[in-house]
Amino acid sequence: MKNIAATRFKRTLLASAMGLAAASLSAQTLAQERVASIDLMTTTESYDPIRYEAAFIIAERWEELGFDVNVQPTEFSTALERFYDQQDFDVTILGWTGRTDRLDPQFFLSTLDSRQANPGGNNPGGYDNPEFDALFDQQSQAFDPDERQQLVMEMQELYKPDAPLVVLFHRDEVVAYNHEAFDGFEPMAGEGLYSEWGPMEAQPVGDRRTLRIGGPQEPDNLNPLASTSVWGWKWMRLYYDRLVRLSADVEPLPWAAEEVEQVDDTTVAVTLREGMTFHDGESVTADDVAFTFNYYLDQDYSYFNSYLDTLESAEVIDGSTVHFHLSEPSASFASITLSQIPILPEHIWSEIDDASTLSPDEVPTVGSGPFQFERFDRGEFMAISKFDDHFHADEIAVDGVEFIIYADMEGVYTGLQTGEIDLTAWRMEPGQISLAESEDHLTVVNVPDFGYYHMTYNLRRAPLDDRAVRRALTMASDRERMVDVLLDGRGEVGSSVIAPVNTFWHEAFIERFDFDMDAARAELEEAGYAWDEDGRLVR
Amino acid sequence: MNRSRLMKSAQEPLRAILGDRLALVGLAVLLSIISMALFAPVLSTHAPLAVNEREEGSLFTRSVDGNQVRWRASPPLGEATLNAADYRDGLGMAVGRDGVVWRYAGGDWSRLDTPLTATLNAVNIREDGATLVAGAEGTVALWTPDDAWQTFDMPEPLGVNGIAWRDAGTALLVGGGETIWRLDLESGEVESLQSPVGRGFDLNGVALDVDGSAWLVGDRGLALRLEPDDDTPSLERLPGNRELNHIHIADSGAGLIVGERGTLLVRDAAEGSWQSQDAPDSRAMRSGWITDDGHAFAVGRSGIVFEREPGGDWQLMPSDEERHLRTLMVTDDNYFALGSDRFVNRLAPPSGEHWFGTDHLGRDLYSQNVHGSQIALLVGFLGAALVVLIGANVGLVAGYFRGRTETVLMRTVDVMYGIPFEPFALILVLLFEPSLFIVILAVSLLTWRTVARLIRSQVLSLRERPFVKAARVAGASDLRIMYLHIFPNVMPLVFLELAIIVGVSIIAEATLSFLGLGPPQSISWGGILHNARLSGAWREAWWWNLPPGLLIMITVLSVFFISRSLELVANPRLRARR
Amino acid sequence: MSSRRSYLIRRVLHGFMALFIIATLLFFLFRLGLPDPTAALITEGLNPEERERIRASFGLDRPIWEQYFIYLANIVQGDFGYSFHYRAPVADIIWERLGNTMILMLPAIVLAYAVGAPLGAWLSWRRGSRADTSGIFVGLMFRSAPMFWTGMIAILVFGIALGWLPTSGMRTLPYEASGFFDKIFTLDFLHHLILPALVVALYYLGSPLLIMRNTMLEVYGEDFIEMARAKGLPERRILYAHAARNALLPVVTQLAVTVGLAAGGQVVVEVVFSWPGLGREILNSVRTSDFPLAQASFLVMAAFVITLNLLVDILYTMLDPRVSFK
Repeated sequence: MKNIAATRFKRTLLASAMGLAAASLSAQTLAQERVASIDLMTTTESYDPIRYEAAFIIAERWEELGFDVNVQPTEFSTALERFYDQQDFDVTILGWTGRTDRLDPQFFLSTLDSRQANPGGNNPGGYDNPEFDALFDQQSQAFDPDERQQLVMEMQELYKPDAPLVVLFHRDEVVAYNHEAFDGFEPMAGEGLYSEWGPMEAQPVGDRRTLRIGGPQEPDNLNPLASTSVWGWKWMRLYYDRLVRLSADVEPLPWAAEEVEQVDDTTVAVTLREGMTFHDGESVTADDVAFTFNYYLDQDYSYFNSYLDTLESAEVIDGSTVHFHLSEPSASFASITLSQIPILPEHIWSEIDDASTLSPDEVPTVGSGPFQFERFDRGEFMAISKFDDHFHADEIAVDGVEFIIYADMEGVYTGLQTGEIDLTAWRMEPGQISLAESEDHLTVVNVPDFGYYHMTYNLRRAPLDDRAVRRALTMASDRERMVDVLLDGRGEVGSSVIAPVNTFWHEAFIERFDFDMDAARAELEEAGYAWDEDGRLVR
Repeated sequence: MNRSRLMKSAQEPLRAILGDRLALVGLAVLLSIISMALFAPVLSTHAPLAVNEREEGSLFTRSVDGNQVRWRASPPLGEATLNAADYRDGLGMAVGRDGVVWRYAGGDWSRLDTPLTATLNAVNIREDGATLVAGAEGTVALWTPDDAWQTFDMPEPLGVNGIAWRDAGTALLVGGGETIWRLDLESGEVESLQSPVGRGFDLNGVALDVDGSAWLVGDRGLALRLEPDDDTPSLERLPGNRELNHIHIADSGAGLIVGERGTLLVRDAAEGSWQSQDAPDSRAMRSGWITDDGHAFAVGRSGIVFEREPGGDWQLMPSDEERHLRTLMVTDDNYFALGSDRFVNRLAPPSGEHWFGTDHLGRDLYSQNVHGSQIALLVGFLGAALVVLIGANVGLVAGYFRGRTETVLMRTVDVMYGIPFEPFALILVLLFEPSLFIVILAVSLLTWRTVARLIRSQVLSLRERPFVKAARVAGASDLRIMYLHIFPNVMPLVFLELAIIVGVSIIAEATLSFLGLGPPQSISWGGILHNARLSGAWREAWWWNLPPGLLIMITVLSVFFISRSLELVANPRLRARR
Repeated sequence: MSSRRSYLIRRVLHGFMALFIIATLLFFLFRLGLPDPTAALITEGLNPEERERIRASFGLDRPIWEQYFIYLANIVQGDFGYSFHYRAPVADIIWERLGNTMILMLPAIVLAYAVGAPLGAWLSWRRGSRADTSGIFVGLMFRSAPMFWTGMIAILVFGIALGWLPTSGMRTLPYEASGFFDKIFTLDFLHHLILPALVVALYYLGSPLLIMRNTMLEVYGEDFIEMARAKGLPERRILYAHAARNALLPVVTQLAVTVGLAAGGQVVVEVVFSWPGLGREILNSVRTSDFPLAQASFLVMAAFVITLNLLVDILYTMLDPRVSFK
């Protein structure tokens, strides 16, 4: 990594001098023009040192290829605004987290759908391929998994040669737990150890039977109709039950539902398990389930809208059966929607008209999950205890779960090292991993992620509107080096928006764009680009 | 006359510094820091942001102490990476970059002279010791125990990644672009076999099976099998689609294939099928070895070594250093792991090569610390100059004109006092892009408030003094009075404030950089500490923490020493008591 | 007396005006300069219509002037609004965070002054000696070392290497406590307080030390000291009973100013020691564009500084007859 800033400074001086000369010579002598410079927006170093350094690794090679590149480290929320809302960027490095429901290919494929290309949509790059859009609609209504798999793989093969974005890499989640206190965890892709199963699987090895998790993030709030963060739901899902839970291999398991059945194209029938109760002793009925889904439709809770957009209504058929009426066939309703929406007690929530305005003290915390809510002290501590009347209670070995909220990963690691906590809820910093490996009481776990860091080209702007330029830039992005140097090998170079760990949906045999400067040059040459005497790209 | 007074007021502080021992020490230290900043490119031993990587012919040996296994680093075999190795009946061969070949015999390693220059990736030894090596650009050569080399011409200069003796007279070569070559050593003829896949994927390894067939593995989980009698290739379906790097099949038929992302495929017996097994680490595995009874080893990136007892789970074994292990060599009484291509020299403690050690990306910390002085001093002095410029003028104007001008200016100062520094700087950085200019602005925009207040109060008393009144009577303009009559009298105070604020600004810059608000890709002392904390390695890497903090401290301390002697000038009452 | 009162009234009015200007400045700076607070929700997969609904619920869909007047009206009524991020009243969050900051800063500052001022007096008495030089050196040294660095080193030595003291947070979790005072009057809390408070105190130590020493040197020249000497009073008595009392004023002034600035906390100390104080909260709120929380935190800090400065002025008018009430 040489000091790019300095060389670029000299180059701009040179370029402006050249520009003056060129202007006087006028157009008759210079038929070829320099290719416009490229702004590469990335996060600040303190937000994410990996993406920050990655941008400089990329820029160095692009400069070598003859582009003028300007790296712009930008505060995270500013970057989001410029990328999504204003679409004011040339190339941007951002990422998508691997939330469990995104294992279904629907979401990541939608980021290339041209109908998402409007400001604020999920396709800020503006990739527009009618064929892709048509396939997208087909797959989202395909019930047969094998048929859908074919469509999803076809879509990946279709978009890849156009290089609308580069999936830079999938970064492993490296977490650790104290095996002298608890054991029995099965890590889950995209979730690490702090999955919804973790507390249910944990086996006490030491004296303490209360599992202690530590992390730097805390829920924004614990209102199931107002929380807009993963960290709220990661906690709430432990005390609110769901009809379906996704197994560690992301198979939908009937949970509070005894059975989930497809009645016809647009009707899903759910039969409830018998004898479930809420933490306050009231029994869980079909009325509660239907109420919850209709309440969510009614309350317009944005966070769940994408799950509920095909649902028209939920109808009580009898004491233990609910029918869900959909507006159109949906491949993901039974697996994703039913596994994300909690069951709320009707007798409490039916009296709340506008749930989003509840103050923190007023938010009800009664669920029917395997754990029941105990307390939440903002910025410090959360606790839940095992709910003995839950149908899964006999399988659960811990008495409860406590979550200690630290200011940063430093605090979390110290807590882990000193035995204050038993496992980390969030990935460790690279420097902490080797320390954790050398501790006898800690087990370090690598969990591959299906979320990804991407570098998206703005297809509306020159020179990125040129497919050949995008392909060349992609080939000139040394992602292997990012994984080797920045991630110390703990990650995988990306090939598709559907990650390789997502084996069922991932198409392994698509174009990879391995790092190859010669191929990148050849690509540009073929498209009619050339280099001037300074090695800058002209056309 | 006025000019000379101005000169005199400037000389006085200098004399004060020279007359004070502590201030002199401060001045000397400051001057050396300044020269460090000026000559940073000359003084630094490395490019400060360059990732330092090293390569060596690493040699790790398995050692057993009680039941503790550890892979120990032995002195490396030269500078070049060793990519492949083989062993048979007392003879071992390891090949690597730039045609390097090492021979292992009787417990000793010796380097062979070769006519080869291309990087070698594969080696296979025949029963009689004749050894085939192959590598980049279609390099294939035969070494015979009489130390003679014979090279072969390949149809295309493609990289060869794997090699195996098919029988005494022919060899199988596999490589880039799904190349499968069968070489007849007698005639030197090469026959290309057509892969049934034909998508140009790289093939990385080849091994002979006990039934006489051959297995080929490569990119994206590709596996091919060549029929025993006529070498007809057919596609085999193995679990997973990660790149497969190496295959080894023992004489008993037990087999091991390793690949990217901790891919481990094991076949327990000749008739068995390949099973994917859980790896204790998810990084790339480069080479594997399985014994007849199913005792298995695999090595990979960052010094990773896995071992598996027959039928057991794979375990991560401790190893001495984080080298990228490329190959295994199992002899009659030893297990060797060899490597290592370019590895980042991360978190290295201070050494002759890196005086202050290296950081988490293998960047030289001594050079970073040297370069860090530039930003500290630049921000320190420019910031202080700006502060004093604004502050002194505001104070002068407010104190001299009084009335509404004073009210407006001093209310502005009040407002400034109400704004906390770090959050304000953060907003500035958010509003504009982080740059050196913004940092200087952030440092100075709030600090001038103190200077303005101090200067104003002095001016308030000065303007009533007789010499000012006399000047006014003589018809001097306001500007003239302010800058030629009053200003020289506040000069000592200005110098004092200047010195103090240089110190304050240096700390302020370090603070901003520590919070990650400094200009990107710049090197500053605060920024080095920011990286140290961010990486999580600071609790072990003391060489990362100590120098930048000490440098900030001595720089600011030296400025404070100087300011103390200036204080005597500004406040003569102190001097009288000394 | 009346001139003194009108001076005070004027000063208070000025204070309010400064606050008003700061409030206005902040409002427009944040709205125009910071990104949309709902921008971060995109990564959660929210579409534009859904975000628009959230913006409306924050009141961000109204014209900016209307927002401004609503904001001013609310402040006047003491209503700081609802935090966008926490969905909780801003006032609750701020008071808790401010309490946390002060419970760290006040003991540290008091410690620094309680040690620094007498030490400074003593050094002035031994002026020119080796003790004097090394006293000044140590005081200035801690003043020159950035606090975050001293903190990191302190954590390394006392927290990690020796394992004597906890390195982060305010208390060992989980704990059982109900009120604020329950939380802080525990041994565990004191245990957590030692390291950060010591680091802050060492940083502040230099300033009372040097101010006291220098003022004492000035005071020695005053007539009443000469008189006391002439009376044959013992040197130690002169030092503490006469000189020190008269040299205290500038130290007290500096103390008040320091306490005023303490509300803003030392962000870096809160960061290094994971202390849940106001300084860290303000950084977070600016980073997440949580306008109500950010504005209110700034205002509270500003009010604190302005009030303390006012107190200093009043103190001066009462203690130092030479100050005129112009």
